Amino acid sequence: MICSASACLPNWRSLTLLFCLGLMLVTENLSAAPPRRPQQPQQQLPDLKSPADKLRFLEMIRMSFPATRAGRSVTFTSEDLDRDLERYVARGTSTPFADLIDDETFIRRATLDATGLVPSANQVKKFVADPNPKKRAALVDQLVESDAFARKWARYWREVVFYESTANRNMVNPQAFEDYLYKEFKQGTSWDRIVGELMSATPQRQRDKKPQDNGWQQDNGPNNFILACENKPELIASNTARIFMGISIGCAECHDHPFDNWKREQFHELAAFFSSGKYYMTDQYDPSKKEEMKPKFILGEMPPPNLKPDQRRVAGAAYLIYNPDNYWFARAYVNRMWSELVGDGFYSVDSLGPDKDVVHVLTVNRIAATFRYAGFDVRWLFRVLMNSRTYQRGIATLEQPEDLFTAVRPTRLRPYEVADNVERLTGDLGGVRGSIESTFDANPSVPQADLEGSIQQALLMMNNGSIHSKLKNSSLRKDLDKLKRNDELITEAFLGILARRPTPPEITRYEYFINGASDRSEAIEDLMWVLVNSAEFVTKR
Amino acid sequence: MVNNNLLHVTLNRHGMLTRRELLQIAGGGFAGMMGGSILRTLGLNAAEMKQEGRSCIMVFLTGAPSQMETWDPKPGTANGGPTKGIQTKIAGVQFAEYWPKLAAMTNDVSVIRSLAGKEAAHERGQFHLRTGHRMGPTKFPHFGSVVAQRLGDPDADIPNFVSVGNTLSSGFLGVKVAPFVISKAGELPANVSSGVGAKRFERRLTALGQQDAEFASQGASAISLEHQELYLRAAKMMTSSRLKAFTLDGESDKTQESYGKNSFGAGCLVARRLVETGVPFIEVQRGGWDMHQNLWQNMPRTAGEVDQGVSALLADLKSRGLLEKTVVLVLGEFGRTPKINQRTPEVGRDHWARNFNMLLAGGGIKGGVCVGKTSADGQEIEDRKVEVDDLFATMCECLKIDASEEMITPEGRPVRTVEEGLAIDELLS
Repeated sequence: MICSASACLPNWRSLTLLFCLGLMLVTENLSAAPPRRPQQPQQQLPDLKSPADKLRFLEMIRMSFPATRAGRSVTFTSEDLDRDLERYVARGTSTPFADLIDDETFIRRATLDATGLVPSANQVKKFVADPNPKKRAALVDQLVESDAFARKWARYWREVVFYESTANRNMVNPQAFEDYLYKEFKQGTSWDRIVGELMSATPQRQRDKKPQDNGWQQDNGPNNFILACENKPELIASNTARIFMGISIGCAECHDHPFDNWKREQFHELAAFFSSGKYYMTDQYDPSKKEEMKPKFILGEMPPPNLKPDQRRVAGAAYLIYNPDNYWFARAYVNRMWSELVGDGFYSVDSLGPDKDVVHVLTVNRIAATFRYAGFDVRWLFRVLMNSRTYQRGIATLEQPEDLFTAVRPTRLRPYEVADNVERLTGDLGGVRGSIESTFDANPSVPQADLEGSIQQALLMMNNGSIHSKLKNSSLRKDLDKLKRNDELITEAFLGILARRPTPPEITRYEYFINGASDRSEAIEDLMWVLVNSAEFVTKR
Repeated sequence: MVNNNLLHVTLNRHGMLTRRELLQIAGGGFAGMMGGSILRTLGLNAAEMKQEGRSCIMVFLTGAPSQMETWDPKPGTANGGPTKGIQTKIAGVQFAEYWPKLAAMTNDVSVIRSLAGKEAAHERGQFHLRTGHRMGPTKFPHFGSVVAQRLGDPDADIPNFVSVGNTLSSGFLGVKVAPFVISKAGELPANVSSGVGAKRFERRLTALGQQDAEFASQGASAISLEHQELYLRAAKMMTSSRLKAFTLDGESDKTQESYGKNSFGAGCLVARRLVETGVPFIEVQRGGWDMHQNLWQNMPRTAGEVDQGVSALLADLKSRGLLEKTVVLVLGEFGRTPKINQRTPEVGRDHWARNFNMLLAGGGIKGGVCVGKTSADGQEIEDRKVEVDDLFATMCECLKIDASEEMITPEGRPVRTVEEGLAIDELLS
């Protein structure tokens, strides 16, 4: 399907020219295996009505994408990453790099990052005792291949897409979206293919059905990005830029961007890709005046005129993902994952202004480029990063931008991770799970350094009757009740709740605490209360 | 840690200690015995003791109400649409027909018709009108957090800033003055009872303090210190006698009816109770104003609730002698296009920040004043343009807060409370 000649029809040519910047593409039969040599070009662009046709078409473009083609020979290891970044970081600060973490800390951090779960006491003990010198790499491999990995990131992206969505509940199916992403992550589907499917979806209102009965085709998972944007061109445009490119362009809907170069026209030209008919921009001052806007992507890419809506969507997806000059797409993914894992991003994940806001731009660009070369393999980034020194450093509260990446920032668990962590101890909490999630609610696109706790969180963790009565009857509690020696009791409580052994001073302190209580059973309950309420319990360290 | 259980004071039917009772207790030597701390423990902030306690209630109409259907109608013009005007007590000033109760109260209420915004997107406009600053890289605090910091007792046992509904955060001022958000007005906040005795609870808290301090020393200082601060405040709150202000206990049916038996009305009533108990800043919200479509279909109910709730609030504050030290603001994030759009199924108005309007009352605001004038077609400010900065300077004046006081951002940059702008003299009594 890759055509080196340009003897194609104008329509076809201009589209593919822009899709691939010079690489010519033709198609004969979408269902056929890609031939090696150019065939007679078809006269017409396929109408790309079905999702399968769209994906096949995007797949052809993908195969001609220079980065994925060249990528087979490019390598980039954790060591390359560390060397690169350490050099740049050391230039800007005299703050020493934090020491590498011990095995106990590593297994909790890595398990939380890859799966959102806290390891059990036994997992911690076993990992610490394992003599294999490469056990960290082996654990990373095991974690990123697990189903829990797919679930964690499906849930994360569900939150990202739906957190700011105001779509009517009857129009969307967030669970179907999560389940779709789960399936794709589990299969190892690459990021470009997933986003291609989300972007090119054209869910249609089914007039014969009520909205909530799949009337928007929302039960088909990949339709839900577009539906979360209420199928409105303006919202699709601003969320595409925000989520998949990390660029804040939304306020250009109404006026030229106050800080950046984005012009109001540019925003509406982007929105025009997502309209089902002609797209009009309303005059800023007089809403009765309207001007038709032709689709034009952010770097000025223009599809041929008169594309049908489905074709236009596919063109939009291709410009987003497979334009070699659009480095934002790969970098936005890298930066989001990096922010989740290291606690700070190279820039705020969804509000990038001018590129000068990016710290260590050479490093992040290099990782992003290599992510492309790796065929946008979702797990590749986790393997490289989690095996690096950069990831395995101790925690510190970093305040100066030049100190970034000398240590890892301790971060708040996501609301559902807090709930999982509590339920790990209490068992199913029923409706209280929802209270935990809403009380610990946090926008997944806000930098961790900017998140704040609340008094309500403290009240919930201290006093919720259901949580504490279930803790009282938990299996951990029963195990602790059996231990006669206080040091063993304290050790098991720490391992069970905080996934680490207590330090010697902690043992001393809690022995004193237990001995000072009038009732041993009450003391155990209080010890568990303290650990469950500690900042550490709800923090990734 | 705090333990106020030793204090059992008689509360009035509203669940609050009256000033007279306080003076009786104080006069009886109780306060002399305990020093100033008893007053603190009872949660009466220092400012209130000096009878200067000023408060602010911000009624935020999220979604941005149309000025033409609120307090700057243009009946009989093409842009005015079908909205009729009704006479207020201010000569030559009409409100839109949906606001009869507030129109009748304009001896106490003033209106600004020439507010000029700079943001026509909701998030940015709300940021501007809640902080007095434009959205950018600096995390400016909600104005309520500024007020909580300047006027609130730092040791207060309930938060100095309460918001009914989600709002902006305290930004760089931190969790001490963060809004305490309640989702439903009229109920005690959830999980305020510990279920164990005071002594045991204190033992737990002490151990937790040590645990968090250790985590702080291991590199998690920001998270741990904040955590400790929040637990301290939560623990104080649990034993506060002022918690009852969050409920409607003791409010007669008649009172509740007067506010309107809906969540907005309950929010206004709780706001009054919180003011009464010394909370310096309360935000109450009514959404649903983003009327791009169906504007005239939705306006009567939406405006009706706000007209009823706010007028009852003002009357209630006034009858209790609280209005003179409580400034009440009713505003949204911007206005709406004077020209009516052509959307389906029914028309509405789009975003418009060039001129919009708001109401002010109480707390040193002179009633019966109409500031500014817009043109007959509603598209231009013809007289007395008011910048958002001027509005915040006015609020500072009412609350006796120094608008020029500098706050230091985390980057070390000093920023004035209100960057520039002058208080609107004609509104100040």
